[in-house]
Amino acid sequence: MTDLVAIIANGIVYGSIYGLVAIGMTLIYGTMRILDMSQGSMVMIGSYVGWWALAVHGVNPVLALLLAFVVAFIFGTATELVSVQPLLGRRNDVDFEMVTFITTFAVAILLTNVALQHYGPFQKNVPPIVHGNLELYNGVSITYHELTMAGLSVALMGALGLFLARTRWGFAIRAVAQDLDAARTLGVPVTRLYPVTMGLASALAGVGGVFLGALYFASPTAGDLPLLLALIVVVLGGLGSLSGTLYAAYLVGLMQAFCEVKIGTTWTLPILYGAILLILVVRPYGLRGTPSETRL
Amino acid sequence: MSAALSVQNLTAGYDRTMVLRELSLAVNAGQTAVVIGPNGHGKTTLLLAISGLLKPSGGTIEFDGRRIDGTAAEALANRGIVHILQGDGLFPDMTVEENLLLGAFVRGSWRERRTTLRRIYDDLPVVEEKRGQKARTLSGGERRLVGLGRGMMRPARMLLIDEPSLGLAPVAIDAVYTAIRRLKQESGATIVLVEENFTHIGEIADRVHILEAGKIVRSGSFDDVSTDRTVVETYLGAIVEGGG
Repeated sequence: MTDLVAIIANGIVYGSIYGLVAIGMTLIYGTMRILDMSQGSMVMIGSYVGWWALAVHGVNPVLALLLAFVVAFIFGTATELVSVQPLLGRRNDVDFEMVTFITTFAVAILLTNVALQHYGPFQKNVPPIVHGNLELYNGVSITYHELTMAGLSVALMGALGLFLARTRWGFAIRAVAQDLDAARTLGVPVTRLYPVTMGLASALAGVGGVFLGALYFASPTAGDLPLLLALIVVVLGGLGSLSGTLYAAYLVGLMQAFCEVKIGTTWTLPILYGAILLILVVRPYGLRGTPSETRL
Repeated sequence: MSAALSVQNLTAGYDRTMVLRELSLAVNAGQTAVVIGPNGHGKTTLLLAISGLLKPSGGTIEFDGRRIDGTAAEALANRGIVHILQGDGLFPDMTVEENLLLGAFVRGSWRERRTTLRRIYDDLPVVEEKRGQKARTLSGGERRLVGLGRGMMRPARMLLIDEPSLGLAPVAIDAVYTAIRRLKQESGATIVLVEENFTHIGEIADRVHILEAGKIVRSGSFDDVSTDRTVVETYLGAIVEGGG
């Protein structure tokens, strides 16, 4: 029972943060057919913003999160303008998916190196958003920081869902994902929608970065592991499927928590990848993807 | 009467295959022009070039006295050009109502969307019955009506309609053409409609143009063109009964 509580609590915490980072990638892939490799950098940028605001300037945590959202939004938009926008006109002449995979990856490497030059290779401590522990059951506890992280991730994903389901621009993003030409004939300005979508996704990753920074550190490579996990979650969920991403995020989170509690941390990654290999061999299109093309 | 749409020497196509070769066409304001021609001769390409989804490689297109060739589709949508795509262009994983609402995406129309939606449901009760259903679950006829309904969600100055009868059963085609006639009356828009034959267009065509191998080869009133045996047999292979 104690183990079960620990697994579920940790699984939900991990799953929420993976979901937050991965959902942006799904949004981008679903609307633009781009596997955005710069999303890890947005986590890294978010964690530096967290360090700068919380540790250096002692800013109010809410403000720090907001700041990370805005800064990552700007970086995400800029990344799109630099690495995707120039290719849009030639979308049909080149392997758009592959080329943008590389161009966004190039931006990621660039950002990592800029961070390295500017802040040096050393890890910076990011203080937690809130201090303290919550005892759940028989010695199992989670930190308030983790609880806030899970809660806010879920709230942000919910807000994204509402935005997509209810608002004019949310409608437009989904429409572009399903039929680009039809969306254009209705007046949806695709060339403006793309940078905004990438900015929005990056902003979510940036907020995730503040939380992850406190769990680990802020460093130039702080985005690498989150990027890898997000990639796994996105592919496992079925590329471009929002609901699939959520399922996969919590599945990966729970699996990770299970390994940590029952088997030992050293086995977490091998078991996780083994399971992913198995799932993808059986369902190459992911949990919620369809054998053809999956869209938002 | 002045021409609302004036296409001159239009050349357009895909990659290095030109489908339209120096095509010229003029449509008067508020009139309905029906372009008829066999498959693969450029009807859809013509509409794509007018609505801005396809960049022409030569010639000019003027709409209300302004050049629009090369202008992007999303900009032309804001200037009142409504293109109802072949195959309807519905968003398959969105509901019927969401599809309709997107028809009002352009600024100005979005504010009025609820009122407009009500009017369309009154006009097309079949569509209202399906409002909560995903577009991918609709029948061909229902899809076509939703496509037309979506075209009515904002004020149209020019309507481009691509083969509304394609793949539909006769009953469904009647419903679709009833909707098109209503759309024509309510909007007062200039219409360019393309079809493969004369069967259904008698009541709406102010002028008929025959498109063959990328060019307009014959223009005239419906009665003139549809009864001209040479035209029909040369370009369309067989005489079509009924129609007018």
